Amino acid sequence: MAVFLQSLISGILIGGVYALIGIGLTLIFGVMRVINFAHGDILMVGMYLTYMIFTLLGIDPFVSVLITFPLMFLFGGFLQKVFINRVLDALAQNQILLTIGLGLIMSNTVMLIFTSDYKILSTSYSSATIKVGGGVSVSTPLLISFLITAAITAALYWFLLKTDTGQAIRATAQDRDAAQLMGINVKRMSIIAFGLGSALAGTAGALISPTYYIFPQVGSVFTLKAFVITVLGGMGSVVGATLGGVLIGITESMSAAYISSGWKDVVVFVLFLLVLLFKPSGLMGKSRT
Amino acid sequence: MRKHLLALGATLVLTPCLMAQKIGVINSMSGPEAPIGENITNGIKLAEEDLKKKGINLQLVWEDDTGKPQISMSAMEKLATRENVVGVVGPYTSACSNAVAKLAEKYHVPLLIPAAAKEEITRQGLAHVFRMNAPADKYASSLIDAAASLGKPKTIAFIYENTDFGTSTSKTAKDYVATKGIQVVADVSYPKGSADYRSTLAQIKSKNPDLVFMVSYVADAILLMRQSREVGLQPQAFLGAGAGFTTVEFAKERAISDNVISCTQWTDDVNWPGAKDFGARYKAKFGKEPTYHAACAYASMIIMAETAKASGGDRTKTRTALKAGKWNGIMGEVKFADYDGFTNQNNHQMLVQQIIAGKYETVLPAQFATKKAIYPFPKWK
Repeated sequence: MAVFLQSLISGILIGGVYALIGIGLTLIFGVMRVINFAHGDILMVGMYLTYMIFTLLGIDPFVSVLITFPLMFLFGGFLQKVFINRVLDALAQNQILLTIGLGLIMSNTVMLIFTSDYKILSTSYSSATIKVGGGVSVSTPLLISFLITAAITAALYWFLLKTDTGQAIRATAQDRDAAQLMGINVKRMSIIAFGLGSALAGTAGALISPTYYIFPQVGSVFTLKAFVITVLGGMGSVVGATLGGVLIGITESMSAAYISSGWKDVVVFVLFLLVLLFKPSGLMGKSRT
Repeated sequence: MRKHLLALGATLVLTPCLMAQKIGVINSMSGPEAPIGENITNGIKLAEEDLKKKGINLQLVWEDDTGKPQISMSAMEKLATRENVVGVVGPYTSACSNAVAKLAEKYHVPLLIPAAAKEEITRQGLAHVFRMNAPADKYASSLIDAAASLGKPKTIAFIYENTDFGTSTSKTAKDYVATKGIQVVADVSYPKGSADYRSTLAQIKSKNPDLVFMVSYVADAILLMRQSREVGLQPQAFLGAGAGFTTVEFAKERAISDNVISCTQWTDDVNWPGAKDFGARYKAKFGKEPTYHAACAYASMIIMAETAKASGGDRTKTRTALKAGKWNGIMGEVKFADYDGFTNQNNHQMLVQQIIAGKYETVLPAQFATKKAIYPFPKWK
C-alpha cells in the first residue's frame, strides 16, 4: 500500500510539472497551428536562466520564477515576431523545420557557453522531504513546484476565460480569419501566445531544476513528453494538456513501481496509442473535420 | 585546424629518425559523455608532455566519436586506412569500444582501451585489442567482497541504467552474489534521464534489502541518492558501481553522498609510482581533480607511445611488444595477460572507497586504506 501511495503521489506531483510543459505547447499550437519543436529547448533555456540567477545572484529557484517568467515571455515573443510570424502561412513541414532549427541553435549556443557538463543545482532543501505517514514521504521541492504549477495554471485559466486579451487569444485559436474580421490583432495575439507558451516552458524548467539536472540536450527529453501530453489531451486544449500531464506522470510512476523502470516508456506509449486508436482527437479534443 | 597543423608539421620533419610516433585517439569529446571524455583528453595531453620530456615526440590524430558507436567506427576506419597510425588509444564508452575492437582486429591496428568497462570487449579473443582498466566484473566483485567483509548481508537489490555499462555490470554482480549466497530481492533497470525514481525506490524499500547496488553515470547517481533519502530507503550499505559515484560533483553533495561505498580504478592517494605527482600536476594544469579515467588514459598513452617507439612504428611489432611487455607506473603494475577467458587484459587491482566527510577515502584493500570503513550505513538525518 505504501508503494502504491508513494507512486501515486510522486506521479501526480511530477505530472503537474509535465502539465505545465504541455499547456505551453498546446497554447502555441491552438493559436498558431504551429507545432513547436523547440519547446524542450525553450525549457532548457529556462533551466539555465534559473541556474545563472541562482549561482550569480543567489536567488532561490522558486523565487526566481518571478524573473524567469517575464524574461522567457519576452524571449518567446521575440521568437514569434522575428521568426514564426513569417512562416504562419507556409507549409507545415517548413514550420517544423524552422522550429527544429531554432531548437538546435538554442541547445548548441548553450553548449558553447556552458559546455556539455551536467549542472546540478543544489539548494538547502533539494533533498528535503515531508513525511506523510504510513512510510510515504513527499519531496519538498517537488511539492512546492506542484503548488506553483497549480497557481500558474489557475491564473492562466482566469486569464484566458475572463480577460479581454484572453478571450481574444481564444477567439484567434477558434477561427483566425473570423477573429481578424472582428477586429482582433491576430499577429499580436500570436506573439502573446508564443510568449506565454515559452514563459510556461521556462517556468517548468525553473521548477524542475532543483530536483533534476541541467545539460544542453535536456530539451529533447521534454519535447517528446510535451508532444505525448498535448496529443493525448487533444491538440489545442488547455484542460486536455493539464489532464494529459498528470495522467502521464501517474502512468510513468505506476508502471515503474509495478512493472519496471525500463518499461515505463513502453507503457506510456501503449496508452498513448490506445487513446489515439479509440479517440483520435485526444481526450478533450474536438474533431476538426 | 589542429589536425592540419599536425599534418603540416609531419611533412616538414623529413628525417625518419626524428619522425614523431603517429598515434590515433578516439574519445567522446562532445555529446552526453563529454564531461568524462574531457578527463581522458586531459590525461592524454599530460602524457604527451611527459613523453616529449623523455624524447618521444608524438603526432596525435584526435577523433571525436560524440559517444556514438557508428561515429567511433568511422573514426577507426579513417585512422587505420587513411592516417596510417601505429596504434589507437580509446574510445571511452563500452558501446563504442566494443564496436571499434572488431575493426582494430580487421585492420591489424593495436588498440589500447583505457577505461571501458564491458567485459565482452576483451573476451572475444581479439589479438589486437588491449585494455588498461579492470572490466565490469571487478567492480561488482570488489564491492560485494567489501560489503561481505564488513558485515553479513543476506539480501541485495539492484538498480541500474539500461545501457551496456549498466546491464553488464549488474549481470556479473548478480552472478557473483549467487556464489556468495546473497539473495537478489529486487532487480530494476531504468532509462537514463528520468526525472523520477521515487516509485522504483519505494518498491525496493518495501523489500528491505541489506545492500543496494547502483550502476549510474554522474547526474543520475545524485538523483538516485537524493530520492533514496526522500523515500527513506535504508540498507546496510549503498554500493555505487563506477562512473557516477566516483566524481567530485557527487562527493560535494554531502547530505546524500556521505558513506556511500564505491570502487575506482585509481585515486591520487594510492602508493603506485607517480600517482601523487600525476594528481598534483593534473590539478595545477587543468584546475580540476583527475578522475580514474584521466589516469587510465595517461598510462595507456605512455605505454602505447613507448611501445610504438621501441617497435619503430611497426604495427605488428607494437602488438607483440604490448603483449610481452610489463610496466609499473601511476596505474600500478600493468601487464596484458590472458586469464578467465580474457585476452590482453590488464588484471588491475580495484580500490574500494567510501565518501567520508565529503572526501573519497580508500577503505579496502587494507594495504592502500586511508580510513576505516563506516558500516552499516548511518540512519538518514
